Amino acid sequence: MLERLKFPFSVAANIGGRCAAAGSLALLAAAALAQDAPEPAPYPHDVVTLITHSSPGGGSDVFLRELARQLEPLMGVNFVIEHVRGGGGARAMARVANAPADGSVFYAATPSFVLTSLLSSPATTFRDLDPVVNVFFDQEVVYTRSDGPFETFEQAIEAARSGRGRWGAASPGSLERQALERLKTATGAQAAIVSHEGGGDLILNVLNGTLDIGVGEAQELRSQLDADRLRLLAVFSESRLPGLPSVPTVKESGYDVVVTKFRGLSGPPGLPREVTAAWERAIRAVLEDPDYRSIYSREMLSPAFMPRAEFEPFIAAFASETAAFLRATGVID
Amino acid sequence: MDAVLQGFDLLLGTPLAFAAIAGVAWGIFGGALPGISPSISMALLLPFTYGMEPTSAIVLLGSTYIGAEYGGSIPAILINTPGTNAAAATVLDGYAMQRQGMGGQALGISLYSGVIGGMIGLLMLVMLTRPLANLALAFTPMSYFALGVLGLSVIASLAGASILKGLAAGVLGLMVATVGTDPMSGVPRFTFGQVELLEGIAPILIMVGLFAVSELLRQAGAPVRTETSRDTARIRFPGRKLRRRLVKPQLIGASIGTVEGVIPGAGGTIASFLSYNEARRWSRSRAEFGRGSPEGIAAPETANNTVASTALVPLLSFGIPGSNSAAILLGGLLIHGLLPGPRLFEENTDTVIGLYTGLFVANLSLLAIGTLVLPICLWLVNRSRALLTAFIYALILSGIYTINASLFDVGIVLTAGAAGYLMRLFDMPLLPAVLGVVLGFLVESNYRRSLVLSAGDHAIFLEDPIAVGLLIVAVLFIAGSLGTRLWLAFGRNRPTAAGGRSSA
Repeated sequence: MLERLKFPFSVAANIGGRCAAAGSLALLAAAALAQDAPEPAPYPHDVVTLITHSSPGGGSDVFLRELARQLEPLMGVNFVIEHVRGGGGARAMARVANAPADGSVFYAATPSFVLTSLLSSPATTFRDLDPVVNVFFDQEVVYTRSDGPFETFEQAIEAARSGRGRWGAASPGSLERQALERLKTATGAQAAIVSHEGGGDLILNVLNGTLDIGVGEAQELRSQLDADRLRLLAVFSESRLPGLPSVPTVKESGYDVVVTKFRGLSGPPGLPREVTAAWERAIRAVLEDPDYRSIYSREMLSPAFMPRAEFEPFIAAFASETAAFLRATGVID
Repeated sequence: MDAVLQGFDLLLGTPLAFAAIAGVAWGIFGGALPGISPSISMALLLPFTYGMEPTSAIVLLGSTYIGAEYGGSIPAILINTPGTNAAAATVLDGYAMQRQGMGGQALGISLYSGVIGGMIGLLMLVMLTRPLANLALAFTPMSYFALGVLGLSVIASLAGASILKGLAAGVLGLMVATVGTDPMSGVPRFTFGQVELLEGIAPILIMVGLFAVSELLRQAGAPVRTETSRDTARIRFPGRKLRRRLVKPQLIGASIGTVEGVIPGAGGTIASFLSYNEARRWSRSRAEFGRGSPEGIAAPETANNTVASTALVPLLSFGIPGSNSAAILLGGLLIHGLLPGPRLFEENTDTVIGLYTGLFVANLSLLAIGTLVLPICLWLVNRSRALLTAFIYALILSGIYTINASLFDVGIVLTAGAAGYLMRLFDMPLLPAVLGVVLGFLVESNYRRSLVLSAGDHAIFLEDPIAVGLLIVAVLFIAGSLGTRLWLAFGRNRPTAAGGRSSA
């Protein structure tokens, strides 16, 4: 059981076939139950494969499954979810880049596919995929233990300025670590930034007082927040979150650090215009759906629809920002 | 008492028992296939749980975990191939017994010990979740480092005849563990541009190569004995005398398993190695270890089945999965809208009681299903050597290929097999290499994490009481084993009874 743990789920499994079969059965049932949706323009394929490098039950898997369930009646398509594990997403990227560019195969794009491309320069990178549409932003939050010494974000930063802070991030090449490194520079604090093998390890080390603060996604903290064992200090978003109105942004404290974890879809290069347009219509519509809205707001996901025309420059900007960060911290040349 | 009645109600009123039995059967099957780890067996079932009632879904997954942890010992005993990481320690004495024609008895011991371990683990889970959860919380990076060192210290006593060769094998294992993404900076190390190496080399690949492939190579080079199989295709449960002898190793296994299961990230593999080592240390017939000792099967098999239950402690009480298998279980809980964590026990009492009841049934059915399945396995391995060798190659290679659908992994297994064959030729022990591969990453990442915390000051290890305690135990282990070795080598002309048998 000592495979490296990467929170939340890290199984070296390629079990696409089976999951996909059972998944699409469930989806068929869901489609049958769904109420009559407005007649969609026919999508050029009956079956669309959504690929993720995440394992079954992992973040991107859950995202794709729920999205597929919602989109199925809207687009009149059966979705198959396939897990292509390994190489931090490198194998999944290669699989998608070499798939036919006809709208039958897409990839769940998150910051990790950009990070893997930059960190390990595999043969196929994010540049070989076409961004299609963004769906959500996942919010990165700063947290501490409830019975710890810090009541506010400023106190934690102040402590790190006067003494030495102990800050934790989930994994070395992660967006969370990037957020902390930028925060450290912006605040001029002295802090050890400790990376972990996953969010679970990190939460334990914050709970037991080894670390002053940790950075993670709001939804993985839910049970600790409910039980009042962890306290949210700040959020790295542009403005306060509707679900967490009392939690200030890092920006409000005067440090211009905004970190965005996107969840969207990419596809093979050269997708036809009508395919991407169909996706843009569908995603825009599904985000408005009240059922789906109640599901994703419970998961603390913010709807962040971006059509291809915006998503493409967004990813390019994210990549150059990340590359600059990795170079500045000496991780890549 | 109410809880017991409620559990009984659930058992009769819902498909709970069915889920438990199906889970165990599937788990044994998955665990017995080399490469299909407990977590993969569980992940394969995950999609089928979507439509199920939550408690049955969780019981199905939990029972699969129990079945798989046991199932790993079947190929470990019969064909020298650990089906799961945690079964690696069982290979030593289990396969030795099988070669002496006592495979049926070895299987009986491992099944009997697995069920006992599972029951003790479940008892610990039910009675002691709260105090044990605090233990999980007490482990800092410094303590994890010390725990890893303690695990590595086992090399000193398991190195075999030459401590130098043992250390060399251990270092070899540690070197393999450095391949992959650097735990602190994220830089790829020793990956030579291979995407497949970015996430490191999975220990199971090395274990299967070192143990199984090298054994097949060795057999291929040995003349064909006319193997009169003394063993009929029957499993034999230990008799009363043997049962009494197994109490001590089983207690050792259950205690170590309880603690290691609770600590996230430690898990069954360390537990089974440590308990094997302890069982050997405290055994009256120490020399028998490695040559087919029943105690050498009982201790690790009790330990890894205890872990299958106590690993649920951090999951249920913090929502933090301590292992990949627990992570799949977390996925199963989340899919059904159950949020494990401090409030689960108050808000979803039904589910928790149902889970406990289901796991109890699972442990019982392990005994029944094991008894049914094992004769078939025994019959399979008593075929002629040519057939068996081909079958094992097919089993191993297809199992390994299934993990990532990657031929690269198959290449790693074959390479490890060749390395293992050479190590056997040079009389190098295989176990230290396996320990190095399993523990290298844990030791390294937590050592470096501690030093980042302290800005490079090693005193941080002395400030952590758990770390100090574990390091002292490790030093005592090493000093003890070295002392014994020196005493045997120089102190006496005639070795002790134990030493006498081992040098014979």
